[in-house]
Amino acid sequence: MSTPAASAPVHSTAALAQKALVIGLAGIVLTALGILVSGPQAVAYSWLVGISYWTAIAIGMLLMVLIHHIFDASWSVVLRRQLEHGLSAFKWLALLFLPLVLATLFYRLDLVWPWMNPAHALAGHETVAGDILYTKKSSFLNLKTFIGMTALFFVVWIWLSARLRKASFTQDADGDVKWTRMNRVTAAMGLPLAALTLTFAAIYWIKSLEYHWFSTMYGVWFFANCFRGALSVSVLIMLWLWRRGDYKGILNNNHLHSVGQLMLALTVFWAYVTFSQYFLIWNANLPEETFWYNLREYGDWWGTGLVILFGHFVVPFLLLLSYRFKVTHRTIRRIALWILAVILIDLCYNILPAIKDAAGHPKPFLSFNLLWVLTSVIGVGGICCWSYFRSFPTAKLIPIRDPRINECLTHHE
Amino acid sequence: MAHAQHAAAPAILQEVKPAVVPRAVLVQNNRSFAWITDKICGIIEGKTPTWWWVCFIVACFVASFTVAGITYLVATGVGVWGHRSPVNWGWPIVNFVFWIGIGHAGTLISAILCLLRQKWRTSINRAAEAMTIFAVVCAGIFPVFHVGRVWYAWFLFPLPNSNLIWQNFRSPLEWDVFAVSTYGTVSVLFWYVGLIPDLAVLRDRFYATGNKTRSFLYGLFAMGWRGSNRHWSNYEMAYLILAGIATPLVLSVHTIVSFDFAVSLIPGWHTTIFPPYFVAGAIFSGFGMVLTLMLPLRAIYHLEDLITQYHIDCMCKITLATGTMVGYAYAMEFFIAWYSANPYEGFTFINRAFGPYAWAYWIMITCNVVTPQLFWFKRVRTNTTLVWVLSIFVNVGMWFERFVIICTSLTRDFLPSSWGYFSPTIVDIFTFFGTFGVFSVLFLLFIRFLPIMPMAEIKAVTQQADVHSGSDHH
Repeated sequence: MSTPAASAPVHSTAALAQKALVIGLAGIVLTALGILVSGPQAVAYSWLVGISYWTAIAIGMLLMVLIHHIFDASWSVVLRRQLEHGLSAFKWLALLFLPLVLATLFYRLDLVWPWMNPAHALAGHETVAGDILYTKKSSFLNLKTFIGMTALFFVVWIWLSARLRKASFTQDADGDVKWTRMNRVTAAMGLPLAALTLTFAAIYWIKSLEYHWFSTMYGVWFFANCFRGALSVSVLIMLWLWRRGDYKGILNNNHLHSVGQLMLALTVFWAYVTFSQYFLIWNANLPEETFWYNLREYGDWWGTGLVILFGHFVVPFLLLLSYRFKVTHRTIRRIALWILAVILIDLCYNILPAIKDAAGHPKPFLSFNLLWVLTSVIGVGGICCWSYFRSFPTAKLIPIRDPRINECLTHHE
Repeated sequence: MAHAQHAAAPAILQEVKPAVVPRAVLVQNNRSFAWITDKICGIIEGKTPTWWWVCFIVACFVASFTVAGITYLVATGVGVWGHRSPVNWGWPIVNFVFWIGIGHAGTLISAILCLLRQKWRTSINRAAEAMTIFAVVCAGIFPVFHVGRVWYAWFLFPLPNSNLIWQNFRSPLEWDVFAVSTYGTVSVLFWYVGLIPDLAVLRDRFYATGNKTRSFLYGLFAMGWRGSNRHWSNYEMAYLILAGIATPLVLSVHTIVSFDFAVSLIPGWHTTIFPPYFVAGAIFSGFGMVLTLMLPLRAIYHLEDLITQYHIDCMCKITLATGTMVGYAYAMEFFIAWYSANPYEGFTFINRAFGPYAWAYWIMITCNVVTPQLFWFKRVRTNTTLVWVLSIFVNVGMWFERFVIICTSLTRDFLPSSWGYFSPTIVDIFTFFGTFGVFSVLFLLFIRFLPIMPMAEIKAVTQQADVHSGSDHH
C-alpha cells in the first residue's frame, strides 16, 4: 500500500507507536473486564460508541483528502500527508468492529440492535417479529444485510484509502503527475461513495438502535461530526509535529488559520443541521418522531442535550470567530480537544439512550458505565494512533513531489 | 508558530521538487489592464447593438404578460388563479421558490467563493449578483400579488395599524418576509459596493470623452471614489463584511423557504433534510441560470479571454456537485419514506413517481440528476453549446422540482374524497411566462448601462498582478 521512503523522517515514531499500542490494548482489556462489572450489554454499547467515534474521525479524514483532490487545493498539501497516515486505521477499525458482530452472532442476537432478534420483547407484550414497523423494513434491517453492508462500508473505505495512499506515496519517489490525476479520479468517484457509505453506516449502526425513529437528515448530521472530528485531529497533529520540530519552517500561521476557518464553518454547519432536525420534529410534534427526543429529555439526558447545544455549537463558535484564537497554539489545541470531547458526548447522546431500564426509560448517562465508554474510546483510539504512527515512517514527512507543494509551503491569506 | 517564517528550513525542503501541473490562467492571452478596462467599458460606451434592441423589445413584450396577468388579477380577484381545493397553494409558490432559488448562485459566487478565496469568481460575480437581484424581484411578484388586495401587502410587515392586526409570527411565510427582504437588501448593497470603483472608471472615461451627463450620473453613484489607498482599504473591508453577512443570509433564505413546507404535517413536505436540500437545489438552479446567461454574453461580446474554459469548467463542476447533492436528497427522501413505514409518506413518494404527475417527476429526475452527470466528461464541458443546453435542462428541472413537491403532496392528501388534479389557468401561465420578460428586461438594462464584470477584481487575478509571476517557487 505504501512505498518506503528514501530517507527517514526527522524523528522516529517507533516508541510512540509502541506506547499507543500498549494504551490501546490496555483500553481493550479494561473494556473487556467491564463485562464482569456492568454486564455485556452496557459494554457492547460503549464499544459501539468507541468504534463509531474513531470511524467517524477516519471517515472525516477520508473526506478531507477526497475534497482536497477534487478542489485541486494547495494549502492543505502538507496536512494531507498526515491524513493519509490516518487512513491506515480503517482496516483495524474493521477488525475492531468484529466483536460486536461476533457477540451478536454467538452470544445474544439483540445484544445491541434489538431488531436483530425477532423474539426480542417490546413494551406492550409484543415482539419485534410482530411489530409492523419492523416487518415493513425487515428486508433492510436484518442480520445478514447488516453484516454484508458493514463489510461493504469498510471495503469501500479501505479501498479508497489504499488508492489515495498508494498514489500519494509513490509520487514522492517518481514525481509522476499521473498519481495526481489518479487521485482526482479517486476523489470524483470516492465522494459519492463516501457520502452513501457514511449515511448508511449512521443508519445501520446508530439510527437503527431505535428503529421506529427516522430522519432524512441523519446522514448529514453524521457527516458534520465526521468532518469536525477530522479537523480537530488535524489541528492536534499539526501542533504535535510543530512541537517535535518536524513542521518548523513548513507550517505557518495561515495553515492553522485555514483549518480554524473550516472548523468554524463546520461548527455552524453542524448547528444548522442539528437545529433543523430538532426544530422540524418539534414543530410538527408527531409522536412517531418526537419520541426519540422525548427519551432524551429524561433524567440527565436533558442536561446532556444542553451540554451539546452549548458545547458543540455556542462555545466553539464564539471562540473560533477570533483570528487570534485560531492561530494561537494553546487556544486552538484546547478548542480542538473540546470539540473532540463534545463529539463523543453527541455520539453518546445518539447511542446510549437506546439502553432502557425496566420501565422503558433510558438509563442515565452519568453512571459507572461511562467508564466503559472511556476505556472503549481509549482502546480503539490507541489502536488508531498506533496505526498512524506505524504508517508515519513509511512516507516522506510532506508530499515533496506534489504539484502544489510550493503553493502550500508559501500559503498566505 | 508566529516565528514559523524565521525558523531554519528543514532538510526535507531541499528535496521538494514539485511535479508540473500548471494552474489554469484566469485571464487568457496575458491581457493588459488597459485591455480589460477597454473591453468591459466598451460594452457600455459603444453604440447600442441591434441585437440588444431586438431582445429588449421582445423582453418587454414578454414582460407585458406579467403586467396583464397581475392587472387582471388585481381587477378581478385571486380566483383567476388556479388555486382550488385541495391545491390552495399552487402555481405562485412554485414560481416564487423557483425564482428565489435562482438568485442564490449570485450570492454564492460573490460571497461564499469570496470567503473561500476562489479567484475564478471574478469574471462572473457581477453578472451573477445582478441576476440575484432581478430574480428576487421576479420572486417577489408572486407573494405580493397573491394577497389579492395588493394595496394591503404592507400588512405583511409588523407595522402598527388601526385594526390592531398582527402577523402570525409562528408562520414560516412571515419569516419569508423578513428573510427575503433582508436578503434582497444585502444583495443590492453587496452588488452596489462592488460596483463603486467601476462606476468611477466610467465617470472618468465619460468625462474624458466630453459626455458630461453620463459622467455626472456615474459620478453620483461612484460617491467620490478616487481610488486612494484609504478608499481601497475601506472598500475591501466593507466587501469582506458584506460577504460575511451575505453567506448566512443565502443559507437562511432558502432554509426558511424550505420551512414553508417542512414545518407542516403534509407527507412529502415534512422531512428533516429539506433545509440543506433546498439550499443545494437553489445553488444548483442558480448556476444553471448563470451558465444560461453568461455563455451567450461570452459569445456575443467575445469575452473568451475573461470567461475562460476554466470558468466554464468550474461552473459545470459546481452544477454537477449540487445536482448530485439534490439527487442524494431525492434518494434519501424516497428511502426514508419507505424506512419510516409510514403509509402516507410511502404513498406520497410512490404517487410522485407513478401517479398522475409522474411525467413531471421524471422530468425533474432527468433534468436535475441524470443530465448533469454529463458534466463528468471533459468533452461535454468544453462544448459550450451543449453546456448551454444542459443549463436550460437545469432551469427546467428545478422548476419542475418545486411543482412536483407542491402539487403531488397537495393533490392527494389524507382524504381520498378530496383528491384532485391541479391545472394552471391561462392567467397563471401568462403571469409566470411574463416574469422571464421582466427578468430579461432588467438584465438587458444591466448589460447596457453597468459594467458586467468587476474590472479591478479581474485585474487582480491577471498574471501581471501576481508578484510571483514567472517563478515556480513562490
